[in-house]
Amino acid sequence: MSDNHHESFRLHSPEFNQLNKRLDRRNFLTKTSLGLGALALGSLIGNRVLGKVAGSVTHEPVTATLEEEILRAIPHFAPKAKRVVYLFMSGGPSQFETFDYKPKLAGMFGQPLPDSVRQGQRLTAMSANQSVFPMVPSAYQFSQHGESQTWISELLPHTAQVVDDLCIIKSIHSEAINHDPAITFFQTGNQLPGRPSIGSWVSYGLGSDNKNLPTFIVLVSKNAVKDQPLYSRLWGNGFLPSEHQGVQFRAGKDPVLFLDNPEGYDGKDRKEMLEYLSKLNTMQNEPYGDPEVQARISQYEMAYRMQTSVPEVMDTSDEPDEVFELYGPDSRDPGTYAANCILARKLLEKDVKFVQLYHQGWDHHGGLPAGMKKQCKDTDQATAALIKDLKRRGLLEDTLVIWGGEFGRTVYSQGKLQTNDYGRDHHPRCFTMWMAGAGVKPGISYGETDDFSYNIVKNPVHVHDFQATLMHLMGVDHERLTFRFQGRRYRLTDVQGNVVRDILS
Amino acid sequence: MLLNITTFMGHLHPLIVHLPIGFLLLAILFELVSYLNRFKELKVAVPFTLFLGFVTATLASVFGYLLSLSGDYDPAILSYHKIAGIALAFVSGLLFLFTTRPFKKIVAANRRLFSATFVILFFLVNYTGHLGGTLTHGSDYLSLDLISGKASQKFLKVEEALLFEDVVLPLLNKRCAQCHREGKMKGELSVQTFAGLMKGGKSGLSVVGGNLETSELYKRIILDLSNEKHMPADGKTPLTAGETSIIKWWIEKGMATKGIKIGELKGADEIKTSAAQFLGLGESSLTTVGISNSESKINPEIPSVINLGLIDSLRNQGLNVRIMLHNPVMLDITLPPGSGSKINLIKGNLKRVAKNVIWLNLSNNGLSDTDLDFLPLMTNLEKLRLEKNPVTDQIIKELLGLNHLEALNLNETRITGVCIEKLKQMPNLKRVYSWKIK
Repeated sequence: MSDNHHESFRLHSPEFNQLNKRLDRRNFLTKTSLGLGALALGSLIGNRVLGKVAGSVTHEPVTATLEEEILRAIPHFAPKAKRVVYLFMSGGPSQFETFDYKPKLAGMFGQPLPDSVRQGQRLTAMSANQSVFPMVPSAYQFSQHGESQTWISELLPHTAQVVDDLCIIKSIHSEAINHDPAITFFQTGNQLPGRPSIGSWVSYGLGSDNKNLPTFIVLVSKNAVKDQPLYSRLWGNGFLPSEHQGVQFRAGKDPVLFLDNPEGYDGKDRKEMLEYLSKLNTMQNEPYGDPEVQARISQYEMAYRMQTSVPEVMDTSDEPDEVFELYGPDSRDPGTYAANCILARKLLEKDVKFVQLYHQGWDHHGGLPAGMKKQCKDTDQATAALIKDLKRRGLLEDTLVIWGGEFGRTVYSQGKLQTNDYGRDHHPRCFTMWMAGAGVKPGISYGETDDFSYNIVKNPVHVHDFQATLMHLMGVDHERLTFRFQGRRYRLTDVQGNVVRDILS
Repeated sequence: MLLNITTFMGHLHPLIVHLPIGFLLLAILFELVSYLNRFKELKVAVPFTLFLGFVTATLASVFGYLLSLSGDYDPAILSYHKIAGIALAFVSGLLFLFTTRPFKKIVAANRRLFSATFVILFFLVNYTGHLGGTLTHGSDYLSLDLISGKASQKFLKVEEALLFEDVVLPLLNKRCAQCHREGKMKGELSVQTFAGLMKGGKSGLSVVGGNLETSELYKRIILDLSNEKHMPADGKTPLTAGETSIIKWWIEKGMATKGIKIGELKGADEIKTSAAQFLGLGESSLTTVGISNSESKINPEIPSVINLGLIDSLRNQGLNVRIMLHNPVMLDITLPPGSGSKINLIKGNLKRVAKNVIWLNLSNNGLSDTDLDFLPLMTNLEKLRLEKNPVTDQIIKELLGLNHLEALNLNETRITGVCIEKLKQMPNLKRVYSWKIK
């Protein structure tokens, strides 16, 4: 059998005939025009130079220039943030028991939600059939903290200590009413799966500051109630080249799956092997021109470097006791939220650009008072410790910290309201998030909700606005970072999003 | 598609009109000078030149009509211009007709009368051209005031200038009146007079005293550049931050008008530098950059160019070089931990890019005070990380000249409280990190 490696790979089904014909024509024209050019130029300049020129022209992918031009224009503004740590509270934490203080509700226990407030808004199937919507105030007390005198719930005593570093946004609103679309919306700008996650866009647009670690790293708490699922597509790269996907680091002896050498192999000739593999892949890539082959090559190389860099960064044994005390008792147990917060700080110190933590268990349709108490206990101290730790190390200068869930919760109780117990359904029309650090005004609250925390009365911030602001702080104009896929250009904020300039410092 | 072609051809009108002007003036000149013996041969060239004038005048009339469809012109002047233009094409055509064979005898008999009609043609060309110029550029575009204008500037200090008459109105005239003026009135707005401003335009009131949110004019000039409602439209130069601040202040303060001097207005200090710059009253060209919104607070001393080869060689030497902005070129440079031993090798290149370095991270590299003697060159530095290096209080010498420094990280170094105290005299230094110092 003769080898056909020099021939371009073609699909020969009828659907591809048209395309093949066009490719033939292009090939012909390229070859002849270059050939004629070569004849003419051959007498003028040396063949060696010419060969180089012709080669570079023929192998250039057709779309390269557009994408390259987009990337070359970045950064569009001087960035304020160099890294991001996004603490994602999955499940939808209630704003009533945390940040959105509603004193007037105190006297309205059990009263039905006025229609004038609800305005016929759709509810989830879980509470839409309820005959009454009894309003319920927070079971927990609020008090004022910090120089900014911000009202914070007693469930968050540690967060209350750092409140002067936070920019609390009380008027975030989303469009999705259920977990999967709402998280997907927050992470990718679209409710349907398939688009790149924010971290992937950041990685694609800004590149890496540390060649030995992935640009986008994900940590999932092991000590959370897994009431709603998380899926790896939330940190997926979508249509962007796959080296930009988030890489999950796990607790235990295998932080990154399939990274260790298999048993009985000492890894000494690993580098040599990868070089050969890279050659093979490059050879294969020439006829296909598939960017995913390039991605695979770079991922193998990254994995090789990670074999030494990951164990080093995962090792917290040289952290002093004082650090573990700061982050709380859980922090000595790898894989907990608190331990992940320490890990996040270590990754940020190494200039990893986008670190995302997930902590599940905030979906309190029933038993909310006890549930919130547990969730806050598991996260409050470590969250505040992360802020304090970054601040004293001078890293809050250029690190943006984000805390928030995918939606908020309703003012009315889902299910039967009891004197000491209640639940709250999903509420996307307003909820609270906070940002801190690089480029964000510290010690302010932005946006206001009505007395029922049901509608926004001042300065609404849409999910796309939040995304646009995040990108802005990283130096990227969210309207100009696009990627062409299936015939159109996509961006994180789709066709919306305004930078919230009022919260920028 | 059709619309685009008509608009395009319409836009060609100002170009085409110069052809009939040239041809017809030439025809007139030929006709008149052919009375002189020396030039009598030119007589034969008249019909041909006249014909060219007629054809191009007709073409210009058609294109002009297409342009008039776009609206936005003063209807009275426009209709005169239209009639005059068509008449011009008609008259030149008629004159050409008289030079053709059937009429030649009549003309030969009345040669002087025929020449006299050329004089009429001359006035018609001028009249039409003048109206066209008024439509495009405004009636005061070519006025004697321009020549005498410089002499009329009667103030030397910005305080003596009248806020509305000397600053706001000329500013609007300069930046907006090309479209928004009597005669053109895009969006039915004219900014040329106080009355015109008060009247507003199609989208509502242009300025409302003390109320920025309902002042359409202000709203439009501060929109994002990408917004199609942004003014000035179609990629014309946007107003500078200083100019915007003048207009903002003028509207906010209830639009002081009728001869109030800037010096008599309370709190006018914030616009004085911008106004002075607009009026060309020297003194403050450097200080004006800092004012305006937070977006444009970019230090003007940062060079806008850099030798890209230097960035490459820094990267080859193992430094992380991140471009923070392309214009001016702002760099964020990191020396990876544990590579302090090569500091003497990279110093040379660091010095060469010194003015472009805005953020610098040298942490955890075992660097001493003497290793850092290049710091004073980095006068535009805003954030400096020196943590985890054995630097001592001596480092202060290298730092005191860094006037733009905002944040300084001296965690885990050998400095003392004395040094921290001294650092307080630095003008812009806002945050000093001194955790775990000895």
